Amino acid sequence: MIPIMDEVFNARNDNYYHLRRACVDMGQGDLCLARFTRHSVFSGVAMAGTLLELICPAGSLPALKAAIDHGADGVYLGLKDNTNARNFSGLNFDNKSLAEGIRYAHNKHRKVLMALNTYPQPATLARWQQAVDTAASAGVDAIILADPGLMAYANKTHPELRLHLSVQGSATNYEAINFYHEHFGIQRAVIPRVLSLPQVENVIRNTPVEIELFGFGGLCVMVEGRCLLSSYACGDSPNTFGACSPGHAVRWQQTPKGMETRLNGVLIDRYADNEKAGYPTLCKGRFEVQGETYYALEEPTSLNTLELLPEMHRLGIAAIKIEGRQRSPAYVAQVTQVWRAAIDAVKNNAEHFRAQPGWLAQLDKVSEGSMHTLGAYYRPWK
Amino acid sequence: MIATNNLPATQQSTVSVAIKKMLGRLPAYPATQAFVTAFNLTVWKKLKDLDWDGLYGKSFSVVIKDLPMAMYFSVTEKGLRALKTTQPDVVFTATFMDLIRLALRLEDPDALFFNRRLLIEGNTDIGLRVKNMLDGVEFETLLESFPGMFGKAVMFARKKLQHRRAQ
Amino acid sequence: MLMQNIKLSLGPLLYYWSRDTTLEFYTQAANWPVDVMYLGETVCSRRHELRFDDWMNIAQQLTDAGKEVVLSTLTLIESESDLKALRKIVDNKKFSVEANDMGAVHLLSKAGVPFVAGPALNIYNPDTLALMASIGAVRWVPPVEMPRTMLMSMPVPDNIQTEIFAFGRLPLAFSARCFTARHFNLQKDDCQFRCIEHADGLDLNTREGEAFLVMNGIQTQSASVHTLAHRLDELNDTSVTHLRLSPQSQNMAAIIKIFRDTLDEKISTREVKAKLDTCLIAASCDGYWLGKPGLSMGAG
Repeated sequence: MIPIMDEVFNARNDNYYHLRRACVDMGQGDLCLARFTRHSVFSGVAMAGTLLELICPAGSLPALKAAIDHGADGVYLGLKDNTNARNFSGLNFDNKSLAEGIRYAHNKHRKVLMALNTYPQPATLARWQQAVDTAASAGVDAIILADPGLMAYANKTHPELRLHLSVQGSATNYEAINFYHEHFGIQRAVIPRVLSLPQVENVIRNTPVEIELFGFGGLCVMVEGRCLLSSYACGDSPNTFGACSPGHAVRWQQTPKGMETRLNGVLIDRYADNEKAGYPTLCKGRFEVQGETYYALEEPTSLNTLELLPEMHRLGIAAIKIEGRQRSPAYVAQVTQVWRAAIDAVKNNAEHFRAQPGWLAQLDKVSEGSMHTLGAYYRPWK
Repeated sequence: MIATNNLPATQQSTVSVAIKKMLGRLPAYPATQAFVTAFNLTVWKKLKDLDWDGLYGKSFSVVIKDLPMAMYFSVTEKGLRALKTTQPDVVFTATFMDLIRLALRLEDPDALFFNRRLLIEGNTDIGLRVKNMLDGVEFETLLESFPGMFGKAVMFARKKLQHRRAQ
Repeated sequence: MLMQNIKLSLGPLLYYWSRDTTLEFYTQAANWPVDVMYLGETVCSRRHELRFDDWMNIAQQLTDAGKEVVLSTLTLIESESDLKALRKIVDNKKFSVEANDMGAVHLLSKAGVPFVAGPALNIYNPDTLALMASIGAVRWVPPVEMPRTMLMSMPVPDNIQTEIFAFGRLPLAFSARCFTARHFNLQKDDCQFRCIEHADGLDLNTREGEAFLVMNGIQTQSASVHTLAHRLDELNDTSVTHLRLSPQSQNMAAIIKIFRDTLDEKISTREVKAKLDTCLIAASCDGYWLGKPGLSMGAG
């Protein structure tokens, strides 16, 4: 065994993440860990999974199957209530569909992650804790949490259960991530869509926690978990209600001036017949500032970081997350297919990777506003 | 920011044009009744166990804007019930072919919405709930509810449209 | 807590004012009937009219004037230089610190420095609150959207004080993007510090002309001014020990006096609204406290 590890080490010691991955891939994680940590900038490296996993959204069983069938390494899903941040009517899983989804994924050796990423409240804390128990007994591969109290519960009650830090936890620096790691044993963190890639790199260098980044889908221009625009207008926020702009507060109406989108009566935007529409979120509305009407906060666009894949691969990103549990199985199938091909291409030959026009065209077809942006990963966006 | 191409204009076969012409000549209520009867005899068997609580008694309208025709119906415990004109709780508006493509699961409703090809007016929550509930039923499951030849015809049509989209 | 025993805090200055304006503001504040002062930049790391040493000087002057001083940290900590600034605050050795990010909580708890758990930490339940208290939090500020009913059902440990956001434009969201720079077609990295021209933020109206939000650099605030002055008698049977009043450019001395007088029952909660309205820069709201949309204003 040791000679093999030496070989791996000598061949790839320019990038310890590759070594770390090689160790994992060869099933020799623990054996080479001691050797490896001598050369790394920190000790106690978390070792699990495969580099650049593709994690796809599942709002329903058909969406889960579409993700698995089209090459997702894992899916993430939530229960049918406000314990997760996609609490939309008719969406998500009950115990029966959860069991079937886990069976389907595990039969194909893929992972199921459960998002419990909203904030429990005094009156309903028990329901969040029950959801953690449900996840553990159903056999999910990890739960994705935002609330420290709930992490403490999960860590104490189900010490074997793998914990991920949700993007709703708003951890934008390694000290925050290390807080969750040291207190609750968080093994992976999903970083809000606000950091540039050099900032992500700095995080990675200073934490033993695996890093997961958003690759594609709806773009929050605000730091997730730190946005109350929705509750300011309609009373319900992602933190407590589990949805931004919940359906009950949204009204679309075709008027002589165009199609109007309102949130609890507040006019978010008005679209002429030839204009693309966006989700009814306040950050993507058009407003008037000093006499000028424009997308004051953000255009209706989707994040698409396909072109940055080689860089993400070089940095040792553990997983790429696709947004969109509220989307249809058709969306999940199309997006998963493209990202599977792209990730395979990058792993195969990162140097010669090029985002194929066909991929981009397919992703743009399902994008919000049919536009895409590199978001904050690309500095000038800021 | 990178601007991208629009979705390709919906292509229509001569068959679908013929169907549209036929439907377009029908008065709305009998057409709705025909649709509701067919729906109840086939897919309702597969849908009736969904969580319809809170949707019973709600009224829906599907506006096929290129015919033009508006169907009105409500949901009951026995399936859909055709209605004459009413003030519906929620209205879905799209073209005939886009509705067919949605039904065949070839199109993502949100993408159609972004591209202004699908409009949901009225009670948005009910509209989204129905959309999400139907998305949660596998297409194959729905297909089982059709009599053999008809099911095959649906599959054939779906493959044909899927192929066309890929081109 | 009894109303008369509730203390007043002057929250951190959320806007970007010139050095002279800021210094003058705090010189005057030394004479206002507030008990606690939060100092420092919490919104944007690029703002530099006052440096760390300047804030420390102000902190000392206010301490000498009998105020309890707390140094507030940035809310969005992204870069290594943000962390460097944070470590400086954590290591200040004189004053307690308000943690507005979990990274700050981590450093403060490791250093054994008592801290205030700020409103952006998302403390929504007893477990998380108890956890914060166990690692060194001596005061907590609930999320600004937390309604009274939720606060009432929250068991609060004896060793931690409760401070609620009681006056000011509500801090609603933080972004990597600077909306003020965007408005002036500037990159964030070359923003020309245009925030300094907008002492109470940059107004954002709906297309129907309704005042809705305010852009304050990377922060988005409510256009309406949140106030609980007319509801102070509702605090009598709650865990609230402190009220946070958020600085605005005008009438701050009068506003603080109105709050103090109401707590001391020199002004009744019934007549206070009319008095306070004359000091406001925009319409008022109190919806969050009532469990309603934040922008609404409850009756009675």
